[in-house]
Amino acid sequence: MRDSKHAIEINNLTKFFGDLQALDNVSFSVKRGDFFAFLGPNGAGKTTTINALTGLSNFKSGEIKIFGYNTRTEYVRTRPLVGLCAQEFNFDPFLTIYQILVYQAGYFGILPGEAARRADALLERFQLTSKRNVKHRALSGGMKKRLLLCRALIHDPEILILDEPTSGCDLELKFLIWDYLTQLNQEGKTIFLTTHYMEEAEKLCKTIGIINHGRIVRIGEKKEVLRDKSLETVFLEVTGNE
Amino acid sequence: MVVNPVGVLTLTKREIYRFLTVATQTIFPPLISSVLFMYIFGVAIGSRIDFSVTGLSYLGFIIPGLMTMHLISSSYENTTSSLFIARWHNHIQEVLLAPLSYFEMVLGLLAGGVARGFIVCLSVYLVSLPFAPIPIDHPIVLLYFMIMVSVIFSCAGMISALWAEDFNMLNVWNIYCILPLVLMGGVFHPITMLPNIVQKFSRFNPMFYMVNGIRYSITGISDTSILFCAGLSFLLAVSFFFFTVYLFKIGYKLRS
Repeated sequence: MRDSKHAIEINNLTKFFGDLQALDNVSFSVKRGDFFAFLGPNGAGKTTTINALTGLSNFKSGEIKIFGYNTRTEYVRTRPLVGLCAQEFNFDPFLTIYQILVYQAGYFGILPGEAARRADALLERFQLTSKRNVKHRALSGGMKKRLLLCRALIHDPEILILDEPTSGCDLELKFLIWDYLTQLNQEGKTIFLTTHYMEEAEKLCKTIGIINHGRIVRIGEKKEVLRDKSLETVFLEVTGNE
Repeated sequence: MVVNPVGVLTLTKREIYRFLTVATQTIFPPLISSVLFMYIFGVAIGSRIDFSVTGLSYLGFIIPGLMTMHLISSSYENTTSSLFIARWHNHIQEVLLAPLSYFEMVLGLLAGGVARGFIVCLSVYLVSLPFAPIPIDHPIVLLYFMIMVSVIFSCAGMISALWAEDFNMLNVWNIYCILPLVLMGGVFHPITMLPNIVQKFSRFNPMFYMVNGIRYSITGISDTSILFCAGLSFLLAVSFFFFTVYLFKIGYKLRS
């Protein structure tokens, strides 16, 4: 890993879907070890930015660097550094949840013994051990959310990207996830979080970025962005939804 | 070049695991249909056909053809269904997010198709032994053609899986293109039995050279130059492989 002070650097990122411009010269950076909230209304460009970051989406122009490595030309180096907890439940239907984790570790080059150890530890941490040998269809919504997190963490990434990780979760699970994310951040992991829950962003994050219509409309440290207002007020001001 | 061998092996293992968990749909049906073909066409009808012109019994003629036909269909169907289902459920992201080069992704998926093709093809040979115990004349040549043919159709299956938008489109190429070409390529008949004009067209059918290569490796008898068959198969395998890698690289229907 390069000695870069930024975990993520995005420069002039532009993305079109047909004629629709989804991202318009988006530029920002996320410091190493930061807890970054990436907020915006539906369709603002949050998931598109995440997809571009993780290589799940092509983009017309711009550049993305992960710890100094270019995601286009050095993708084999950038991918182990990033773990993605996606919004949708996209699990392999042929595998049990234990196999999902072990295979995912294998894709990242982790040998079977170590993969098994990590899978067991994560299942234990997220209280899924009793469901180890069932397929994902047998899990409740909250359990699937936890499985998404386990899968994102199986290769011990430096950056964890979470796309609305607590949507649809009950309070107990929400607190479990918050505690775990805070702990990971304290251990030095960079967290990139998108959420529609303002209190979640306000409580957990150190830095906040707001995107609207494919443009960054506000970004900075939490104090700077809030200036004695609530995040909800600031969000409504800058997205024009007041 | 492979820089993540554990990743490639994991993907291969996952592909093999997938088709073995549904063996009643992936392994046994071609064996059952082969036994029926051998019994109906080989034993019941074939014994009444004068086939001396080829130097083989009719059963001895169709067994390599059946092996090729199932090698093609199994390799093709494996990658088509695996990749399409992965796109459909979007768990293809598990692979796309991993530090695997596009070359390695194709290699891992391809290996599953090749493995299924080999298992089915060799099993067809084994179930044919009670009907007609034909020794394999050129095992190395057989291995060569099995690798080439299964690589071509595993890649064709991936291309088809990327192209298809829904389940309806998934089997279009197989039903309307591959199967007719395979059957017209000499699985059940030597092309010399066909009218002259059809024979000429058959020479442009690449399946003819694949069926012929495998038939030669088992029986030692060939309708055309075996070197040409080997060269053409190699060229097609390399072209299909690199075209598939290219589609992965540009993210054709894989990345938004």
